Amino acid sequence: MWDNRCKIAISGVGFSKATRTAETPLAAHALEAVQAAVADSGLNMSDIDGLATYPELPATGHAEIDGISIVSVNCMMAMLKLPHLTWHIQTGSVNIGGAVQQATNALLAGVCKYAVVWRAMHNPKGTYQNLPGSHAAGPTQFTGPYGFGGPGQGMAVAYTRWLERNNQNREKMATLAVTQRKHTHHNPHAYFYNVPLTKEDYLNSRMVAHPFCLYDCDIPVQGACAIVLTTAERARDLKPKPAYLAGYGQRLAFEVAGRIGSLSSYMEGGSSSAKLTWERSGFTPKDVDVAQIYDGFSASVIYGLESYGFCKEGEALDFIQEGRIELDGELPLNTFGGSLGTGRIHGLWHIIEGALQASGRAGSRQVKDVKVSFVGASAPIVQGTTFIFVNEPY
Amino acid sequence: MSDWSQVTRPIPVPNEWTKPFWDSAKQKILSLQRCQSCKHFQHPPYATCVNCMSIDLKFEPVTGQGTIYAYTIMYHTGDKRFASAVPYASIIVELENAPGALLPGNLLESSYTEAKVGRRVEVVFQELNDDFTLPQFRLVL
Repeated sequence: MWDNRCKIAISGVGFSKATRTAETPLAAHALEAVQAAVADSGLNMSDIDGLATYPELPATGHAEIDGISIVSVNCMMAMLKLPHLTWHIQTGSVNIGGAVQQATNALLAGVCKYAVVWRAMHNPKGTYQNLPGSHAAGPTQFTGPYGFGGPGQGMAVAYTRWLERNNQNREKMATLAVTQRKHTHHNPHAYFYNVPLTKEDYLNSRMVAHPFCLYDCDIPVQGACAIVLTTAERARDLKPKPAYLAGYGQRLAFEVAGRIGSLSSYMEGGSSSAKLTWERSGFTPKDVDVAQIYDGFSASVIYGLESYGFCKEGEALDFIQEGRIELDGELPLNTFGGSLGTGRIHGLWHIIEGALQASGRAGSRQVKDVKVSFVGASAPIVQGTTFIFVNEPY
Repeated sequence: MSDWSQVTRPIPVPNEWTKPFWDSAKQKILSLQRCQSCKHFQHPPYATCVNCMSIDLKFEPVTGQGTIYAYTIMYHTGDKRFASAVPYASIIVELENAPGALLPGNLLESSYTEAKVGRRVEVVFQELNDDFTLPQFRLVL
């Protein structure tokens, strides 16, 4: 087990209002979320001495403008003017989960006391994957000429392989979309809060990139969320009940840029990250009371459930049936609605929900008697990270 | 059958790793990067052998026969260059004798509904312009 098990905790969390259009600059969303997280902890902004984010805009063909389409650490430093800042970082290789892990490491190293991590996501005007241009350079030279336009198709190809090799039916995914939407009705911060979705809506919706229909894809939004991380000792003196970090992992499998569609790469990415997390935390999938698994595209949940070890390969679409992922089911899943419910803000919201469920702060969607709360943040293939939060250090 | 006649495919921009692939395709020969140390084929080309870390890599012709490893049928028209062809099949082909080398392509000469995982395909060559020819695939019937 990990020497630093349960020595770091998530304390406060905060959100901005997720909107479909970018009327408010992204920097204001990020500021709102960070201020809310600090207030939730009962801290003053001047107490914050560490900053971390993953600022990528995953859209294609749109400029990265700091404060408008991304919010860098530099941008946040300019807004907050923290008098006691001692540490900051921007991660690149494993999405926002990497920023949370780096902040954890910085706290363990003693180079800061209260770190804030935020994820701010922009929804650009026009087509999200805007692919103009007469040429395809870099990794896209092998994909662009064949009309592989964006991550949706890149994820869809592996999903057809999964479906056909396992003799499965995409219609079973309706259960995931509908159940997560039900969870969304308990999350007032979510974009689809109180917007109903039925099985018929799912089955009748337009196809985007087969096997993905509209409701297999998270909707792009403008919004931000944030957390305060600190040591377990300090967290106990703050306002909210802490969620203790029992272990984490990151994908160790690699993928060559431009190579798409490999189902085995998803599985190797997920299993390598989960293995580290189970070993460090001392838990197994059977110990988990509630799980958040990244769902930017629905198939990520399949790869996650299987590669993390919650069910066998080829069985995930059967595993999610018969009420198993409901709030009172055997494995309540994406209890905040997932990205399919909140809108596209990447994996920090999954981490936040994992922490809220562990600390008993999830309100009307709280799962009963949560001791072990699992998070798979980001698709397992190239950006995957995994976390386990517990309600008491044990 | 998807109507490709109005599609404007982007032209590949080769770099030092990928130029032999495109030079070979122009001669209507499918060549993949092969490790001269462990004989592993790989695609896309890379700086080192992803199997054994050797830097002794050369391009060698392959048969161009393989199976559909995975595919998607595109309905979304966000990419205006391809909007006129929807629905169309974009496929990933695993070549025989080159496991792990995954080649993107379109399924030509058949309806997009014929795309299925495991079906046998063979390479065909589609001229983009005087300088570039695309490896593409059709079903082996």
